[in-house]
Amino acid sequence: MLSMVPRTWLAIAAIVVALAGLADSVYLTAHHYTAEPVPCSLIEGCEMVLTSQYAEFQGIPVALIGALGYFIAFSLALLTIYGYRTWPLFGIQVTIMAIVSAVLVYIQAAWIGAFCQFCLISAATSMLLFLIFIVSLFVRNNFVTPETDQ
Amino acid sequence: MAQQAPQVKPKSSAPIIIIGVVLIAVVLIGWYMISGSKPAQGNNNARPTTANANKPAVNPATAPPGANPPNFAGGVNASVVVEEFADFQCAACAGANPTMNEIKSMFGSRIKFVFRNYPLAIPQHDKAYDAATAVEAAGMQGKFWEFQSQLFNNQKEWSSNPNYKQMWNDYAKNLGLNVDKFTTDMAGLATKGRVDADMARGRGLGVTSTPSVFINGVLVDFNSMTVAGLKGLIDAELAKGSAPSAPAAASPASK
Repeated sequence: MLSMVPRTWLAIAAIVVALAGLADSVYLTAHHYTAEPVPCSLIEGCEMVLTSQYAEFQGIPVALIGALGYFIAFSLALLTIYGYRTWPLFGIQVTIMAIVSAVLVYIQAAWIGAFCQFCLISAATSMLLFLIFIVSLFVRNNFVTPETDQ
Repeated sequence: MAQQAPQVKPKSSAPIIIIGVVLIAVVLIGWYMISGSKPAQGNNNARPTTANANKPAVNPATAPPGANPPNFAGGVNASVVVEEFADFQCAACAGANPTMNEIKSMFGSRIKFVFRNYPLAIPQHDKAYDAATAVEAAGMQGKFWEFQSQLFNNQKEWSSNPNYKQMWNDYAKNLGLNVDKFTTDMAGLATKGRVDADMARGRGLGVTSTPSVFINGVLVDFNSMTVAGLKGLIDAELAKGSAPSAPAAASPASK
């Protein structure tokens, strides 16, 4: 019988958080492609971030890259629960996402001078995924640790 | 009791199915969100939004005159003055530029179309003021509108290029300008003075965003900055045959 170890719950939490981040990123991606032009303003705002030159990387919306990242994180966490050894890959993935998120928050603060709430939500979910992974490193049991009745 | 063999969770294809379902769901939802909120085709023919188009300027009568002579196209003494305040690093301004060009072509000398520099002092528009002085420098050699188009058409390229001034020099060269004079003028007090004068006028009129368009001193709602929207408002002003309530400048000069 497999034990219901805390790490399983961490993986479930990771799945939930990744899905939340995925939903947020899909919304931002849709906004990127559908937003009508807004006037440039002295007043700071979300639109300023979403229409800035930093909203794309090599012509690809950053939100779309984020959505892909969350989808991969979700998939790796899900596979972990089913016994696949993908948790280390999940760790690499969420570490990269956390670093990128930190850079994007810095860009908003230092270069654009405005914050986008939905981008901050995405940064928060990335950091939370990273935190879940860090916590998992200190949990003894593994997902696939076999148990016996001895 | 015999020792039970360790039970390892068997690998299942269930997660693959779940992942596939989620992927399909995400793609469908994303596609629905994008396609469902696309503006209808022929948006330029949308009815003019006039609800907010009659906001009076803050102080049209006493606002500073702006650069004199202004950069303008159309009729010197036209009864309808269309005055645009724009920032060359503003994506919305670049997006509106084809509309403004169409309006200029459509009405010709029946309107006086004035362009005012209004570089916004925000971090992401760090090159906007220099761009304004550059277009003024090009204007000193009679290529204001041509250079203006170059800046708007290539906004993304030069905005993200640290060697943007070299790019501007290339634009100037391609337009047949004297590049040495262009660079000297761009750094000179005369062009800065003109930009500052336009900005002072914008502040006097209460401009806080770009593009801002005034028709005979009345601020046009941003949603009306379509060809159809502007045409409707200009036609209404032409029908009035009124004199401009906020002249663009005391002694305009053509470009």
